[in-house]
Amino acid sequence: MGAGVRIIAWNALSLVTALIVWQLASQAVASPFFPAPMQIVDAFVQLATRGDTTGHSLWEHSWASIERVLVGFGLGVVFAVPLGLLMGLYPKLYAGTRAVIEPFRFIPPIAWIPLAIIFFSGLSRFAFLIFLGAFFPIFTSTLVGVARVEPIHRKVGIVHGASKLWILRHVVIPTVMPDIMAGMRVGLGTAWLTIVAAELAGGISTGLGRMMTNYAELIMVPHVIVGMLLIGLIGFLMNEVLLLVERHLFRWRWQVSL
Amino acid sequence: MHAPVSLAKVDVDASHRYGPLIVHDGLKFSVAANEFICICGPSGCGKTTLLDMLAGILVPSTGHVHIDGTPANPKKHSISFVFQEPSTFPWLTVSENVATGLNIKGAPADQVRSKVANIIEIVGLKGFEDYYPHQISGGMKQRVAIARAFATEADLILMDEPFVSLDQPTREHMQREVLDIWRHMKRTVIFVTHNLEEAVYLADRVLILSAKPARIVAQLPIPLQHPRDPLSAEFTEIRSKCVQWLHDAH
Repeated sequence: MGAGVRIIAWNALSLVTALIVWQLASQAVASPFFPAPMQIVDAFVQLATRGDTTGHSLWEHSWASIERVLVGFGLGVVFAVPLGLLMGLYPKLYAGTRAVIEPFRFIPPIAWIPLAIIFFSGLSRFAFLIFLGAFFPIFTSTLVGVARVEPIHRKVGIVHGASKLWILRHVVIPTVMPDIMAGMRVGLGTAWLTIVAAELAGGISTGLGRMMTNYAELIMVPHVIVGMLLIGLIGFLMNEVLLLVERHLFRWRWQVSL
Repeated sequence: MHAPVSLAKVDVDASHRYGPLIVHDGLKFSVAANEFICICGPSGCGKTTLLDMLAGILVPSTGHVHIDGTPANPKKHSISFVFQEPSTFPWLTVSENVATGLNIKGAPADQVRSKVANIIEIVGLKGFEDYYPHQISGGMKQRVAIARAFATEADLILMDEPFVSLDQPTREHMQREVLDIWRHMKRTVIFVTHNLEEAVYLADRVLILSAKPARIVAQLPIPLQHPRDPLSAEFTEIRSKCVQWLHDAH
């Protein structure tokens, strides 16, 4: 565990260093548009205890964004994983539909915002946009992962008389799982990217992106930065949760070799 | 589910081609129930194709591969396979790997546990049950694969150069172990090897294949008692006979 403690110590040190550099830079610049770390803390305390100018608390804004991300990201996983497995197992299906699927991959979710505003409202609008952002990274890495299944592992199942379903559950999915998880982490990043852009586009009263726009219009820089840092922090925590799940699922990779 | 004694009698009369490439041309032999046969042949004689046909995962272009009178079928016949290349699942522990065949067959959990414990003891992996394949040596991984094949108590056990990646002492140890397990369980074993000494050491009968298109050029019964002494006069005599046949097969 010594190495773990040392890693934590190094991270704490780099965090403190970053704060000191920030503090010194803000003192050097001495501009109301370049707040010092303590002003951010003040803005955070104010937002957390008294809410914002529109009467929404910081938790309402955060939760609104988290909820949208979770719903859209969940939908992405639910559709991308089975479809990726299916097309990975039947490459002809993918080869025959590529021309339909692939172009969508290159339309950024942000480019869908105008249409999403027309066709959807409320949660469904965000869920749709985030779904688009999360779907392709997960779909593509699942698809690629299926190709990694060792023919010999499949054969072990077949010679023992295993069904197709058994091979899917006990050979294909365990092999592809690391790729699915990697795709999910990339997809989560895209989901956050999309949510902020979608909330900036307006039409709603809550969400961290919305809160930031409100304060940007008031030129209250510390409050905007609170929103930015929260987005970074929540995304980081969600990623850590996925990493924990990964570590648990892939014990067989993480165990130290003899 | 399984009879106490294997009944798998194997009957091959098959030809196989991949496009214009004729792999087997009228390959004909049979294996008695509980017999241990070794198949030797020059490299590229189509042994993988033959084993795939015996396992029922490849249907010969013409002719048949019968087990107990019906076409070989992994869902119907009780077959196990030890592959030449590493075939353990890296995401399962040693004991979970060994249990794979039994789990596919739907054996009850308590039966799986006792059979796995028993076979792990026999192949000398006791104490390593909860290790993952990447934590153990290549030789131990191959023992896991062998234990997995024997755990199902399959009627027919196919082995594809299973010891080729092992060092000499481990190889000799595993040969003795396989013979031991075979004597315990009395199964039909078809063992492919390029090593004639290994074949003469293990088999009741050695089949020599020719190069492609493969056919049987010789069948030599090995009338020696186990354990065999590779340095004895009878052993060396039979072995040199095999060498001669294999030479002619080229």
